[in-house]
Formats: sequence, C-alpha cells, structure tokens
Amino acid sequence: MIRVSGLRKTYGDFAAVVDSSFSVEAGEIFGIVGPNGAGKTTTLKMLSGLIEPTAGTAEVAGFDAADPAMRHRLGFLPEESPLYEDMTPRSYLTFFADLYDVPRSTADERIAETLDRLELEYRDRRIGDMSKGMKRKVAIARSLINDPDVLIYDEPASGLDPLTTNSVLEFTRELRADDKTVLFSAHNLYHVESVCDRVIIMNEGRIIARGSVEEIREAYGETTYHVFTDVDLPESEPADGDRHRMEVDTMDAVEDLQDAAAAAGGRVVDIRTDEPSLEELFLDLTGRQMAGPRTAAATDPEASAGDSPSTPDDTEAATEGPR
Amino acid sequence: MKLGTRLRRIWRIARWEVSLGSLGLDRRTVAAGVLLVALAGAIATAGVVGGLDGLSPSQDIYRVGISADSPYYDVVESHAALAPYPPAVDRLERGEIDLLVESRGIGGATIAAGGSGTVGLGGGGPSVSVAHTPTEKGAAALTAFRAAVQRYNDRTMALEPNETAAYPVSVQLQYRSQESLVPGAVDANRSAGGTDAGDDEPGSTDGSDGEESNGSGNGESDDADEGDGDPSTVDVTDGTDRERVDRAAGDDSILGDVFGGGGTEGSPAEISPPFPFSSLVLAFVFLVPMNFVIQAYGGTILNERINRRGELLLVAPIERLDIVAGKTLPYLVAAIVAITGISLGVGGGLVSVAAVLPIALAFLSSTFVGAMFARSFKELTFVTVTVSVFLTSYVFVPAIFTNVTPIALISPLTLVVMELQGEAVGLGAYFFSTSSFYLGSAILFLLGVGVYREEDMFTQKPVPLKFLDAVDARLRGRKSVAVAAALTIPFVFVAELLAIAVLFVMPIELSVPLILVVIAAIEEVAKSIHIYAGIERDRFDRSIRTALVLGGLSGLGFFVGEKFTAIAQLVGLPDLVLGQATLTPAGVTPASTLALLFAPLVLHTATAAISALGARRNWRWYLAAMAVATAVHAAYNVGVVSLYG
Repeated sequence: MIRVSGLRKTYGDFAAVVDSSFSVEAGEIFGIVGPNGAGKTTTLKMLSGLIEPTAGTAEVAGFDAADPAMRHRLGFLPEESPLYEDMTPRSYLTFFADLYDVPRSTADERIAETLDRLELEYRDRRIGDMSKGMKRKVAIARSLINDPDVLIYDEPASGLDPLTTNSVLEFTRELRADDKTVLFSAHNLYHVESVCDRVIIMNEGRIIARGSVEEIREAYGETTYHVFTDVDLPESEPADGDRHRMEVDTMDAVEDLQDAAAAAGGRVVDIRTDEPSLEELFLDLTGRQMAGPRTAAATDPEASAGDSPSTPDDTEAATEGPR
Repeated sequence: MKLGTRLRRIWRIARWEVSLGSLGLDRRTVAAGVLLVALAGAIATAGVVGGLDGLSPSQDIYRVGISADSPYYDVVESHAALAPYPPAVDRLERGEIDLLVESRGIGGATIAAGGSGTVGLGGGGPSVSVAHTPTEKGAAALTAFRAAVQRYNDRTMALEPNETAAYPVSVQLQYRSQESLVPGAVDANRSAGGTDAGDDEPGSTDGSDGEESNGSGNGESDDADEGDGDPSTVDVTDGTDRERVDRAAGDDSILGDVFGGGGTEGSPAEISPPFPFSSLVLAFVFLVPMNFVIQAYGGTILNERINRRGELLLVAPIERLDIVAGKTLPYLVAAIVAITGISLGVGGGLVSVAAVLPIALAFLSSTFVGAMFARSFKELTFVTVTVSVFLTSYVFVPAIFTNVTPIALISPLTLVVMELQGEAVGLGAYFFSTSSFYLGSAILFLLGVGVYREEDMFTQKPVPLKFLDAVDARLRGRKSVAVAAALTIPFVFVAELLAIAVLFVMPIELSVPLILVVIAAIEEVAKSIHIYAGIERDRFDRSIRTALVLGGLSGLGFFVGEKFTAIAQLVGLPDLVLGQATLTPAGVTPASTLALLFAPLVLHTATAAISALGARRNWRWYLAAMAVATAVHAAYNVGVVSLYG
C-alpha cells in the first residue's frame, strides 16, 4: 500500500531524510520511531504530498505521493492540527467532506458514525471551546471523512491525557479491523510497541533498524537471563530465601551455570528472562537519550539496572518532558 | 482536473471563507462595521457632491451689526464667516459685535461702496460706513466683509442676463494638455469641434470660440442658477463639454483651501490650470473600501499560516491555486460590490468600475504576497499599511494632473476622474492605464501561490528571504530565468512611469539625467534579482560559466519583454520630452533602427551577466556588481539620448 524507495530530502547542506526505503502492506499498522530531528515528520509529509522529495520515489495507494488524486485515498493527521475554532465539529467535518467530494448524505452518516466511535458528544459546540482531547478527536474524524485506504498519523496521541491517549490508541487498533493501512509515528515508544505491527527506527534522517518489535529485539536487543540457584556460586549474590542470583547474557552461559551448580551439589531452581523494551532498544541504537529530565530519569543507569523494564507509566512520563 | 470540478471547489472554499469569518469577527460586528463605513462614505460623498458648501472652519465667526433692510444685509448673510446681528453702536463698543455697517460713519474704516473703489454693490449703490472693534479680530472681520462684498458683486454680475453689460471685456480660457493627448482623448478633442486648427498656443483667445462661448453663456448662467448663485462650479468651455472644469468651492471650502482651488476668474496671475477637485475627491472615495478589504484579506491569509492551520487544506485534493482563488474570491467580490456602489453613488459608470477593478486586484495581490511573507500580524499591519500608502499614492497623485499631462494616465484612477468630468475614455487609454495593474497583479498572485506550500508557509523568515524563496519557487531550469526576467516588465514599467511622474516636475536638465540613472537601476534589479535568488537557494551552481549563461538568458528575456513598452508608444507618452528620453530616443533614423534594436539586447545581456557574476559570490558582491551594471546601463542611456536626443 505504501512503497518508499531512496527517499531523500535535503535543505541546503542539511539532509533531513537520507535514502529512506520501506514498504507498508495493506491493513498493516506501521510505526516510525526516532528522536527529534530524525526525519519522521519529513518522511510522513513527503508521503502525504506536502513536501516534495529531493530524490527518490514515494507511492501511496498506487499513486505517486505528489499526485493530487492520491489525496482522495489518504487521511492525514499532522502532529499539530489546529482547527478552525469558530466552526463546530459538524460544520468543520462537512466542509472537508465537501472538499473530498463526499456526497452530503454519506458525509452526514460518516460524521455521525465516526464521532460515535470516537465518543465525541459535542458536535455543535464551537471547536474553540473544546478540550485538547476533543479537538484531537475532531481532527482524527476529519482524517477519516473521505474513508481513506491509507492513514498517516503523526503523533496522534501527542499531549493528550492517559485516558484520551488510550482511547485514541484503541481507535487506531480498530482501524486495522477496517482494513485501513496506518503509518504511525510517535515519540512515545510504548504507543508504537502496543499498536504497530512493524516499525522502523530513524536517526539523523536514516533508517537504522526495521522489522517487528520482536524481530528488532531479537536482532538488536540483549536478553538478560536471571539464573537462581540453591547453592552459592562464585560471582553470585544473595536473592530471596536461600537462593542465589546471577545474570548472564547467553544460553551457553546459563548451561555453564547449570553445570557449575551441579558440581557444587546444587541446581538451578529458576531462570527468568528480561527482554528489552523498544525504548531501550531505541536508546541503545541511537546512542542518545530522549530529551527531557524525566526521560533522563527513566533511563538513568541506576533505574535501568533494575529488573523490570519500563512500564507504560514510566514511558508516558518520559515523553512529557520538554521536546 | 476538470475545470468544472476546480470551479466547484473554488466556490466551496469561497463559501466557507465567507461563513467562517476567518478573522473571528462575528456577523454583528461585521454588519456594524459595514454600516459605519457606508455611513461615513455616504456623508463624505454627500459632502463632495454638495460642494462642501456647508462646511467652513470660520462659520459665523464674525458678528456684523447690520439692519435687515440694508442693501448689504444679503452680503453678510450669504457669507459663511459673517453672521448678521441687530446694529447698535453700544454693542460694538461692548464687543458684542465685530463690525457695524451703517449708512453713516461713526469712525473706523469707511468703504465707499458703489464708487470707483474695488468694493461695492455695483450700479451706484448706497454709501455705507463700516466700523470695527479696535482689535485684530475686528480688522479681520473688515477684511472678510470686503471679500464678501467682492464675491457678492461677482455673483451678481454672473447672473446678469446682459453679459456684455456685466463684462465689457470677455476673455475665453481654453485649457489644453501640454502635449498631444492619448488616442481616446485626442479623438474626443477632435470630435469636439476641431478647435486644433490655428490655435497652437495654449490659452490663446479665439474669436470663434468666443462666439461659441457666448452662445453657451446662458448655459453657464443656468448652472449658476442651479447652484443658488454660488459659482462653486464654473464651466469653461470651448463650445463643447470637453473642458468641463470643477473649481474648488472657494474660500468657504476647507478642501478648496488645502488644494489651492484652481481659480478661473480674476486677474491672469490669479488664474491657475483647471484642478479636477470634486472629481478627484470622488475618485478617491473608490480607494477607501480597499483599505478595509485588504485588512480582512491579509488577516485570513496569515491566519492560515499561524499554527499551521492551513496545512490540512494543503493535503486535501485541491490545487494550491484553487485554495488561494477560493479564499480571494469573497474579498474581490466585496471590492467589486463596493466599487459598483460607489460608482452609482458618485455618478460614475462602467468605466469607473472597470478602471478601479485592476486597482482592487493590485491591492489584493500585493496584500496576498505581503501576508505570505509576514511572520506575524504585526508585520502584516506594516505590510498592509505600506501597500495602502504606496498604491494610494501611485494611483491618486498622477490623477491630480488629469487635465494637465498624459502622464496622469499611468493611474487607472485618472480614467475615473475623466469619466466624472464627462470626458471620453478610449480603449488605448484604458489599456495603457490598467495593463500593468492586471499583469502585475497576476504575477504577484502567482508569486504568492508559489510559496503557498508547506515548506514555505509555516517557516519564519525575514521578509527579504521570503521574497527570495518566492522568486526561487518560480524558477525551474535555466530557461525559466529568461521567463522570469520578462515577467518583471509590468513592475519595471510601473516603477519607471512612477519615476517619470515624480521627476517630471523637476527642471528638464536635471530630471532627464536623473531618470536615466534611476531607470537603469530599476532594470538592473529586475534582470538580476531572480538570478541571485536561484543561486542563493542552490538552484544553480556558482560557477562563472553558469553565471554568464544565466545573465545572458535574463538579458534576453528582459529584452523581449521590454518590447512591450511599445504600449507606451501607442498612447503617445514618448511625445513628452521625458518619454522620449526614456522610451524612444528621438532622431532615430531607419539606418540606425537595426542597431538600436539589437544594442539593448547586447546591453541587457552584458549588464545582467555582470550582476550575475556578483550574485555567485554573496549579497555584498551582488550589490557591488549591480552598481557597476547600473553605471554601464546609465552610461548607455546617456549616450543614446546624447546621440539621438
């Protein structure tokens, strides 16, 4: 549904996107992850026809991204989508339905249905009087007004409260059931991990990793094995009860510990695996931290030395820092 | 995309623009604003149409004690500055009145009315004595009274059925333009009775004309009658309606004082060329609504750029040009409605509407580009004020000289003045006055549409850099440099005509060399600014070869475009000395025609190449190179004028 080949965008000497190539299949939710300035938004805008690529090709729903006809098949949600605040959601959506040549009766039905799904009740209230979450829902509804095959969402849950965020993410998941293809970018890696089938990680305009989250984890992440024995081995540390704990990185090392425990008259009583989150992989790959003091706290060496991976709440907090 | 689909979408955008009220103004506020503007316009129009007779800064300022049965009572009552009061010496002494007019003198100044003096009621009227308080105001009141008596006498004379008795010597004034007029005006002049023959000196008397004038004398009297005896409007005619002259309303008019009138009576020294005061003020009314329209229009364009609000329209299946057309249409319609209304109100016609339409387009296109460049509403305010001041000056100032010089035709507003004066406006004159406005507006809109895209709309850059972006956005390959140079011609034409209009009042020895330099500078900027933009934005490489090629192409494009200045030759502007110097050097022989045809080509390519060589370095080098190019160009101009002028 989306084919990108050698996509490149430069501004003078600055390369915003460098030879980016990827494809998204129909019905797939595809994530783009990367720090500020990685080239995510520029990529999405080139795909939506807003920005002309310096080189390369981008094809969306069978059309060149620059072809205005493509826009009939596309729903685009920019990161910041300020609405016309003097309009009501109904009049706003009706106006865009007109622009997309959606018949009025169809538009009315679609507006009602979409706003129902998004649980937006105030359809005739002035948009300027609505909360940020409500406005975002209106913007999402607008992206669906032409019943597009492809949806490009740039940070759809950015700046929303957790409740609205979950609602938006759930709605995005439901789009898969509607056979929509969604290209999804987010700062909040938990959002990407929880919604996307596949992801690419971008840094400084380049794609540095790609695949499903599991594939990336397998390819780039290091699984830590926490091995518990009932005998004290060299380099082990006391755990709960009479148990002793050691951390190793490979299954071979685990087997070595099993042998060592047997030689000492004991045995391995438990093995736990600790797989890295997408965020940890991302930080490891990009070699940089996401901006903001809370992010720094979340990835603090001491904090990351703990046993549990970042929780959704941790990640949510991390992305609330200054960007 | 089909035209019908595009038009439908433009209509949708326009309808949305109207319903949206993009500036956040509710309908009641807009309605109240429109009502206020309409009210102000109606009052102003009524004031102008009525000759502003009722307005005077010195209304009833001097109190005159005079008996109601005095023959001078009407003099006092008809003068705005004088107010009649019951006559009494003690009131004068107490300062309750400033003047006392009696049949017997009681001291102070005495005016011998009806005698050989300059003041009197004529026809051997009664003598009066006039006393004033021993103050400056009293003396001023006396002066005003003298003037009032003089004017009263003039009016009485004008009403005299026996004109010969009233004016034993009659001098018929005939105002004519300095040089030959534009085709339409010439035709009108000739069709008016063939007064050209044997009448080469402007202002010369012509016996036959005088006879014709006498024949129409009653008509003038009729005019005076209609005006209740106040000769605020005097027709000075050569037997037709060709030379209708509106005179300012004399001492009683505020604006007449400001503009100096244009007296058509008195001693020869007091008579000045006709000044189309009323027509000019009425024509100015057309410009008033433009200022309101561009405020709203600029606001809605900038509103799209604030916080990326317009991004979603850009991603909708609609062309950028259609978005801009849709957003512009309501404001253009509003301007046309206002123009039409004003035209109906001031007695204009289709010519006035057709003449002001390109002015409205120029206001809108300039504002559009300004709003696309401005970074904030603060900057937009500066832009709209600049647009308003420049365009108002450009169209209004030349129109002042409607009856004096054909240079006035650089302004479409001159056509309005001509129509309001009852003059015919030919197609040639219309084309000359409006073509640069139409072309310039189209180019400005295209320039703005070029940056009506995501990459430019939402970036914050200084206006000059935005301008370079806009110019660069219109460039493609090298050939586009030639096209861009040709497209600058309307602006070059406007700038050069403006320079002529500004400088023609100077002594010819000074104005001609000055204008040759100014014009050289204007053309060198026009030929090189897009090259600089293209190089600066890395569209073209910075090699010497590329610079030379770009310079050559730009010079060629400009040369081709420059041939459109033949328009000026069609309407006779080169008949003026300055026109000759700038547009068509005189003394050109057929043998030198070929050389003169291609010499500018060599000049333009060479000087554009010089500027391009500077542009490939940086802006300082560009300015320096352009200065050199201007010097070369100016030297060429001076050489051509010296050789053939």
